[in-house]
Amino acid sequence: MKRTESLVLDCRQVLASLSCWLDGDGSAELRAAIERHLARCGRCRILVDTTTRTLRLLVETEPFEVPLAVSARLYARLEQALREG
Amino acid sequence: MPAGSEAAAADAHDLELVARTLAGDRAAFEALVRRHERRVYRVAMALLGRPEDAEEALQECFLQAYRHLGQFRGEARFSTWLVRIAVNAALQRRRERDGAVSLDELLEAGDFVPERLSPWHPSPEQLYGRQELRRLVETAVAALPEPYRAVLVLRDLEGLSAEDTAAALGLTVPAVKSRLHRARLVLREYLAAHLERPAGLHQRLLRAAAGLRDRVARRVLATMGRKP
Repeated sequence: MKRTESLVLDCRQVLASLSCWLDGDGSAELRAAIERHLARCGRCRILVDTTTRTLRLLVETEPFEVPLAVSARLYARLEQALREG
Repeated sequence: MPAGSEAAAADAHDLELVARTLAGDRAAFEALVRRHERRVYRVAMALLGRPEDAEEALQECFLQAYRHLGQFRGEARFSTWLVRIAVNAALQRRRERDGAVSLDELLEAGDFVPERLSPWHPSPEQLYGRQELRRLVETAVAALPEPYRAVLVLRDLEGLSAEDTAAALGLTVPAVKSRLHRARLVLREYLAAHLERPAGLHQRLLRAAAGLRDRVARRVLATMGRKP
């Protein structure tokens, strides 16, 4: 169904569609409407930018490393279990 | 896509190591553990919060994985299969610790509305050192209510699909999506408090200009008052 009027979104709707947008989900029509909104709304651009950066930081900082001592105890326990069969 | 082909190569290597382990090669199992211990530990930390509990779940997960390796059929990725075992080991540990708990506890109703909407510092690595930035992220993740934390770690850190995350946590796909959405916003808000650009020169100039304008206006008004 093709309509001549294009979908117009307010900030609240962009916020609700944010995860959709970040995950590459949603229809082409929705994505185009989000892009149109972002082109004219600085606050929503900041929201998208900072959420994208949040997810990048989450991956890049590699949180919750296994402490060396924890790793060593894991290997010791597994070795013992494997030996016992 | 280099990232995709890298992942495919890693999956193929996992399958080979599984086959060798099943054929009695212990070194192959050790290699599997090395490749995946970080992933399992992160999942355990996400669900349990305390390092000592996460360690317990980490050991239990790999013991279980070794015992049940013959049941791994290679339909799912090995990493996804292992994450499911890790989630179960962590939930088991939590039941021992806290008694019966449900993933639905602590869920708040209503929408989360972002408040901090100023631009961020262009380079947080310059603002904080790498270690400090990691601790900041760890604290932010740990501060999330648990049902959000588990979904965020599986989806955005471990890269599981919404479907696999739902299966691992016993949730529906829409529940995964709505919790993930909220988790991302709450995490963003926490980091924003530390990463927003301090009031820049531009804003300080604007404030100074406003002050000057007020002083000029007062003087003009005062002058007019003296000479009607």
